[in-house]
Amino acid sequence: MHIDARTLPNGSVLEADLCIVGAGAAGISMALEWIGSRHKVLLLEGGGLDYETAMQDLYRGESVGLPYYPLQAARLHYFGGTTGHWAGFCSTLDPIDFEKREWVPHSGWPIRREELDPFYARAQPLLELGPYEYGAGDWQRRDPTLVPLPLDPHVMWTKMWQFSPPTRFGARYRAAVIGAPNVHLYTHANVCELEANESVRSIEGLRVRTLDGKEHRARARYYVLACCSIQNARLLLASNRRTPTGLGNAYDLVGRFFMEHIEMPTGHLALAPSRAANTKMYALEFGRTKARGELALSAAVQREQRILNATVSLEPGGPDEVAQSTFQWGTPDRLSALRERDAHANAGPPAEPPPARAPLFFHLMTRQEQAPNPASRVLLSTERDALDMPRARLDWRLTALDRRSFHAFYEVMGRELGRSGTGRVKMLDWVTRDEDTWPSTLSGGWHHMGTTRMHENPRLGVVDATCRVHGLGNLYVAGASVYPTGGAANPTLTIVAVSLRLSDHLKRTLA
Amino acid sequence: MNRRRFLGVSAAGALAGLTGSARGASANAAIDLLTLAQPDLLSLIGPQAVRKIGLRYRALVPSENEVHVMYTAILAARPRPSSIAGLVEQDFAVGRTMVLQGWVVSVTEARQSALFSLLSD
Repeated sequence: MHIDARTLPNGSVLEADLCIVGAGAAGISMALEWIGSRHKVLLLEGGGLDYETAMQDLYRGESVGLPYYPLQAARLHYFGGTTGHWAGFCSTLDPIDFEKREWVPHSGWPIRREELDPFYARAQPLLELGPYEYGAGDWQRRDPTLVPLPLDPHVMWTKMWQFSPPTRFGARYRAAVIGAPNVHLYTHANVCELEANESVRSIEGLRVRTLDGKEHRARARYYVLACCSIQNARLLLASNRRTPTGLGNAYDLVGRFFMEHIEMPTGHLALAPSRAANTKMYALEFGRTKARGELALSAAVQREQRILNATVSLEPGGPDEVAQSTFQWGTPDRLSALRERDAHANAGPPAEPPPARAPLFFHLMTRQEQAPNPASRVLLSTERDALDMPRARLDWRLTALDRRSFHAFYEVMGRELGRSGTGRVKMLDWVTRDEDTWPSTLSGGWHHMGTTRMHENPRLGVVDATCRVHGLGNLYVAGASVYPTGGAANPTLTIVAVSLRLSDHLKRTLA
Repeated sequence: MNRRRFLGVSAAGALAGLTGSARGASANAAIDLLTLAQPDLLSLIGPQAVRKIGLRYRALVPSENEVHVMYTAILAARPRPSSIAGLVEQDFAVGRTMVLQGWVVSVTEARQSALFSLLSD
C-alpha cells in the first residue's frame, strides 16, 4: 500500500516489524523480499513517486574537496532513487577486492566474494540481467563472434559486464510494492533523526518530517538505512541528541572513507588490423549490448605492482579526438533530459547503428577504485535544509596511490597489448607526469561508497559483517556505504546483492 | 617522393658514413637499414607519431644519436636468426619498453623510430 505522508494527521505514529529508510535500489530490493511475509514493513521514501524539485533540493550540499559534481544532481530523491538515471552497467567485485591488501591501507572486507555469489545470482533478475555468468568464455559460448583478445591471463584478463535495460526501480517495481498488503510505502516521508534509547544501545524511533511542516514517528523492531552513502552518513551524524558526534560514531568513522570510482579518459589504443575481429567483444551499443568485456590486470600483477584495481573500456575514437570524462559527459541538463525521456518507460538510451567497419583507434576509459582514505569524508554543513536538517558537506580527497596506479596500469597494459600483438597503448600527458596533481578531467562515476564501512572491529568500521551498526542492536545499513573498498565494478549489482544478504539475515533475526 | 623511396635515398647517404663493424657487418646492410627504419609502428600510428617518438628517444639517449650507432644497437640486440618483429615481441615480453610521447613502445621500436627520424631529418 502507498500513503503520502503529507496526508497523515500531524503526529501520526507508524509502526511495523521492519522499517526501511530510502526506496532506491537497496531499499526496494529489500522490500520486494518481504512481500507476502507475515511481517509488516515500512518503506519510507523522502521524495514522491516522481521527480520534484523541492524534494531534490534536500540533497543539495557543499563540496569542499576535489572538484565534484553538484550533490543534488548526483543522487535522485524519489521512489526508485538514482536508478532513475543510471546507465545499467553491472559487474561483480573481484575476489581480490575483498582481500586485505597490505599495500592498500584500510582494505579488506570481513566477508569473501564466495559468500556474495548466491546473492549476486539472486540480484541478476532484479536488475533484468542475463544469467549469472561473468566469464568471457561464457559469453563467447553464447555468441561465437565475441572473441576476447589473446591476453596472458597471468597479466591481463577480459572482465565481463552485463547491461541492465537499465531497470528504473521506481517504474519497474512500483506496482509490486504498492500492491503488497504488508509493505507500507510512505512517500514524502523524510527521516530527520534516528532516536536512540537512553543507553544508546538501540533505536526507539524515527522522526519523520514533511515539507508542509508535519512531523510523524516511525517505530519498528529493526531499522535499515538505505538512503545512499552521503545521506546515510548525514542522518547518522545529524542524530546527535544522545551523543554529540552522532550515532554509530564512537570512533569518528561515520562519513569517513568516502570513495568514488575514478573514471577518466586515460589513453588511446592503436589496434593491430589483425585484431579487428576482436573488437565486438569490447563494443557497447546502448540499449542493445547484453554483455561486453573490459580490460583488467590480474590479481598477481596488482600485487606485484602494489596498485589498485581498475578496468579499461575501449571507446572508438582517435588520438586527435578529445574524449569526455564521466562528469563532462553527464551534465545536469543531459541527465535531466535522460530522466525526462524515460520517466515512464523502462527503456535505455536509443540504440546507435553499428559502425560500418571495426575501428582501429580507441579511447581508453579507465574506471579505477579509490584507495580508502579517512580524510575523504562526508561531514555536516552549517547550512540547513528546508526540514531544518544540516546539509551534507563533501570533502573528496585522493591519495598518491590513486595517482600512481593509473601509470602502472597503463605501462603493464601497454606491454601486454604489445606482446600479444594487440596494438600499442598511448597514455595521456597527465598520466605520464610524475606528480600528485590531477588534471581538469578528474571525474568520478557518480558512485558514492564507504561512509559507513564494514569491519568486524568497531574501532575500524561502522557496521559489522551483517551490516548492523556497531553498538546499536537494531540498526542496519544497506547500500554502498558499507563497502570497505569499491573495486572497479559499478556498485549497483553489489548494492542489490548485499541488500539481499541483509534481508536474509533480518528474516532469520525476526523469525 | 614516397616515404620508402625517400628513406632509400637517405639511407644511401647515411650508409656512406657507416664505419667499422656496422658497415662490414653485412652485404645487405642497406636493406637492413631500410628495414630497420620502417618499424611496424608506422602502420599502426603513422609517420608523424613515429617521428616524434624517435626524436624523443634521441633526446633521452644522445649517445645513440647517429645512424650507425643506432643501427648497430638494434642489430646487436637481435638474437639470430630472430626477426626484428620477434625482437620487438621479446622486448614486450621481458618489459624492455619505454614510454615515449605517451606511447608504450619496445626499446627496439624506439630505436627504429629514432632511425626513422634520423633518416627523415
